[in-house]
Amino acid sequence: MLNLNGVSAHYGDVQALRSVSLAIREGEIVSIIGSNGAGKSTTLNTISGVLRASSGAIEFLGRRIENLYPHQIVDRGVVQIPEGRLLFPYMSILENLELGAFNDKARRTRERNIKTVFSLFPILEERMNQFAGTLSGGEQQMVAIGRGLMAMPKLLMLDEPSLGLAPLMVRQVFETVKAINAQGITVLLVEQNVFHSLSTAARGYVLENGSVVLEGEGKELLNNPQVREAYLGI
Amino acid sequence: MRSIVRNISENGLHPKIYFPFLLVVLMAILPLIPQNPFYEDIIVSSFFYGTMALAWNLVGGFAGQISLGHTAFFGIGAYASTLLYLHYDLSPWLGMLAGAVLSVLVAIGIGIPCFRLKSHFFALATIAIGEVLRYLASYWRGLTQGGVGLLIPFKPGIENFMFKSKLPYAYIALALMLVMLLICYGIRNSRFGFHLISLREDQDAAESLGVKTSRSKLAALIISAFFTSLSGTFYAQYLLFIDPSTLFSLGFSVELALFTIIGGLGTVTGPILGAFMLTPLDVFLRAWLGGVSAGLNFIIYGLVLMVAVKYFPLGIFGWVKSWYDPFLRKLPGGRRPLKTEKAVLPSLVLAKASNPARGRESSPFFEVQSLSKHFGGLVAVRDVSFQIQKGEILGLIGPNGAGKTTIFNLVTGFIPPDSGRVAFQGEPITGLRPPHQVCLKHIGRTFQVVKPFKDMTVLENVMVGAFARVHNAQEAGKLALEILAFIGLAKYQGSLASSLTIADRKRMELGRALATQPKLLLLDEVVAGLNPKETEEIIGIIKKISHQGITIFMIAHVMKAVMALSHRVIVLHHGEKIAEGTPLEISRDKRVIEAYLGEEYLA
Amino acid sequence: MEITILQLIINGLLLGGMYALISIGLTLIFGVLEIVNFAHGEFLMLAMYASYFLFQFYGIDPYLSLFIILPLFFLIGIAVQRATIQPILNAPPLNQIFMTVGMSMVLQNVALFFWTADYRTVKTSYSALTLKTEGLMISLPRLVAFFLAMGLIAALLIFLKRTYTGKAIRALAQERKAAMLMGINVYRTYQIAFGIGIACVGAAGAMLIPVYFVFPSVGALFVLIAFVVVILGGYNSLTGSLVGGLIIGVVEAFSGFFISPHLKEAIYFVIFILILLFRPTGLFGRA
Repeated sequence: MLNLNGVSAHYGDVQALRSVSLAIREGEIVSIIGSNGAGKSTTLNTISGVLRASSGAIEFLGRRIENLYPHQIVDRGVVQIPEGRLLFPYMSILENLELGAFNDKARRTRERNIKTVFSLFPILEERMNQFAGTLSGGEQQMVAIGRGLMAMPKLLMLDEPSLGLAPLMVRQVFETVKAINAQGITVLLVEQNVFHSLSTAARGYVLENGSVVLEGEGKELLNNPQVREAYLGI
Repeated sequence: MRSIVRNISENGLHPKIYFPFLLVVLMAILPLIPQNPFYEDIIVSSFFYGTMALAWNLVGGFAGQISLGHTAFFGIGAYASTLLYLHYDLSPWLGMLAGAVLSVLVAIGIGIPCFRLKSHFFALATIAIGEVLRYLASYWRGLTQGGVGLLIPFKPGIENFMFKSKLPYAYIALALMLVMLLICYGIRNSRFGFHLISLREDQDAAESLGVKTSRSKLAALIISAFFTSLSGTFYAQYLLFIDPSTLFSLGFSVELALFTIIGGLGTVTGPILGAFMLTPLDVFLRAWLGGVSAGLNFIIYGLVLMVAVKYFPLGIFGWVKSWYDPFLRKLPGGRRPLKTEKAVLPSLVLAKASNPARGRESSPFFEVQSLSKHFGGLVAVRDVSFQIQKGEILGLIGPNGAGKTTIFNLVTGFIPPDSGRVAFQGEPITGLRPPHQVCLKHIGRTFQVVKPFKDMTVLENVMVGAFARVHNAQEAGKLALEILAFIGLAKYQGSLASSLTIADRKRMELGRALATQPKLLLLDEVVAGLNPKETEEIIGIIKKISHQGITIFMIAHVMKAVMALSHRVIVLHHGEKIAEGTPLEISRDKRVIEAYLGEEYLA
Repeated sequence: MEITILQLIINGLLLGGMYALISIGLTLIFGVLEIVNFAHGEFLMLAMYASYFLFQFYGIDPYLSLFIILPLFFLIGIAVQRATIQPILNAPPLNQIFMTVGMSMVLQNVALFFWTADYRTVKTSYSALTLKTEGLMISLPRLVAFFLAMGLIAALLIFLKRTYTGKAIRALAQERKAAMLMGINVYRTYQIAFGIGIACVGAAGAMLIPVYFVFPSVGALFVLIAFVVVILGGYNSLTGSLVGGLIIGVVEAFSGFFISPHLKEAIYFVIFILILLFRPTGLFGRA
């Protein structure tokens, strides 16, 4: 479904991605793990078009997307839920959700999608007119995921969804991810929390310093001592 | 100053030295050439605008603070000297000084509050000030005769600062301009100049290197105001008529900026180039087009401004520079090498290693107690306490968002803590701000995202740090060279910082902080983003620094580096310290593994 | 002539309504594109001239000309944004400042070239009409202008709150990256926001011409007031601009009467500097 071939990206003169190649098949949950600064967020930003790839090709459903504008990529069905949630703080939950459905197709089915989101996260329906900036971390994450779903993604990318959340919430987030995937949406998950992401994902890639250093099935990687080394240095 | 004289005496016959002198002589002769008052006027105006442009450039170019209200000082100078002359018969020469002093006072009054504002708002504030003065001048008729303006009766004589011919005016203007030029040149190569440019490039980095940014900006404004004011008096005495709308006009403020932008913002001679090019152009345009319609020339200026800002950021200076040096080499004597200070590659005596332990000191080297900070509802740092022993390398690790950089910012004066105590060598420094104070206490730091001073060379970057301890430019240069040799960047000393790779920039930032002679060095993610070879190199340098006796506190994500370097490690998670110990102990600690890999990992 | 406090307040509010309309465009532009449009006043001036000429040549009443001015200036705004603002959105502040300052110079002097420095105004059949009730005198054109301005501002606020494009504009101002990731066409939204800002100030121009004079540098006069209003109200708050405009109008009316008609302008500059120093976020602004 999604293919990255030799993608490199720079922030100014600093090279953040070095010839990264990865593939995601339809219906999978794939995870990218790595320590900070490894390039995980950069990978997502490059796929989303927020950052322009300096070289390499990105293909989604057979068509090249590396030169498109961010809104065009969302139109194609690739939606990112950014790190830190990045909700619109002075807008209500409902408004945040509505804004997720920006493209025409999504707008038409907006009402139905909102209902779906509320059934996934009932607590949001109760608070739907509350300003997003006043919510707790877990609630914000729910809104962020819901907002992403409103765009009717074919591929949903999540950037560190468990960041700053209490363990209970973390578990819930991953349950939600599995539920979303069960509905047919392919998921690309970027995480620092190795256990949850590798046990949820079918496959994983380990990034270090902008390059892919390991890849394999989720369970395999989980038991791979190299992963532990990469994180703890021993 | 001494270095300039020495430079001249040793290298006197090199065109780099004598050619500028020739140019000065040429400028001195220039006023004598034309017989026509029209052309004489152009020359006087060029010198005069040159001075004003140089003065504006100090604030707008060197310090990077865009002022659109400089006419305030111009007008104050003009009115002060004129009123004192008309009402009290005070010689305009003295009036000139009085006006300049008044301008300086106004500059201080404006500068202290307004420099806190960000660029767009600072520009707005300066516009407002110019306008307020314009209204005051227009409507305080009792003082200024309002919009009618003031006429100075023509009584030629040197004591009245009035002359029959334009020649004396030309020479006075030239003298003023040359003085201003020398001052700008002197500043550029002095500690003050380095401070200004560094704060323009990156204020946070400058503060961390001991630059007193507020004071430096104010100093630049004061000098600028002084000379702009002198020009105001000159203008009054030259034209013998002043009125508020000409003196305090916003268009004039913009023109001042225009000279410098066209000429070359932030360069020493750029403003003069701009003034010399635009002044005759202005006069001719006005003469030619003014007949057609007033204001047509301004259309052209406006367009030129818009285009220049987009396509020619370096101004004329950039273009001139490219053929100036080769041109000089073709002149007699040009082939001779310049005798410069020999680049000394010294033995590595860095920051004097701290005194050998005079017995156990009673208080720990660096201590943090119950430090806390929250942002809105989010608790970033919760009740964190730890100590750093002298001479050790303490690592600070933790998952993303744990609060590590926040702790750095809390102890280096970038953010005030909510509660807690910080002490360095027994001395409390809790909440010490602004950051330059922390630097002066011998605590240095680097930044997670490198902040090079892009428009300066590598050597100059490190010199900014050196200037925290020495005041003389030559000593700073020597110190900087030592540092460069120590960190292995000596061969890049003349390269612009913007041309370095990320790894070298990190090294340069290390060197810059080292130049401030810290006893405690805080490194924020200095290894992130480097490939294995570069990581090895930087680890080596950090070890060297530690062997010099400097205590190191470092945040890192790359575990290999942390484990290899640190004597001890503390682990932060969700803003709390969850573990402390040797690297080995930490890697085995359940809570740490949970934090990084997830609690069920060990299940 | 007895002028009561109430009269002063009313005069101030009527004037303030104009200020609010001019300023709200400026705030919108700053909030969304994060640049200060130093040429804002020149668009006011151009609109005043446009309205003037529409009246001179076609007999179109200035208030009716709104139907032409609003869409026209919206389009002008979009064109200007694409040509001059978009290229410098990521440039350093210096470049941004001088791009709009340069534009301001060009526009002012183009107007000077074509239309000379003569003061012009529009005198309609009702220009001098005043309502007289209970000892108060209210100029009819000003009253009409006030209500029109309030109407436009209300329409704008509703647009921003209810429509998709409006919400996209607000979202972009609050959180740029997320807006991009939500499929909002950032470039188009920038254009629309700028266009709306210019349309607002254009409308203000059409409403001002019956009660004020137009000359090439009239924009400079009003734009400085607009800056004060924006800062007073809070540079990222539209309601702030509305309230701020009304406040400044009233302050001007009062200081004009009690202190001096001439120094009243100096008064709000002092306000300006005080706010910048002590409460930079203004009355309604968010840090």
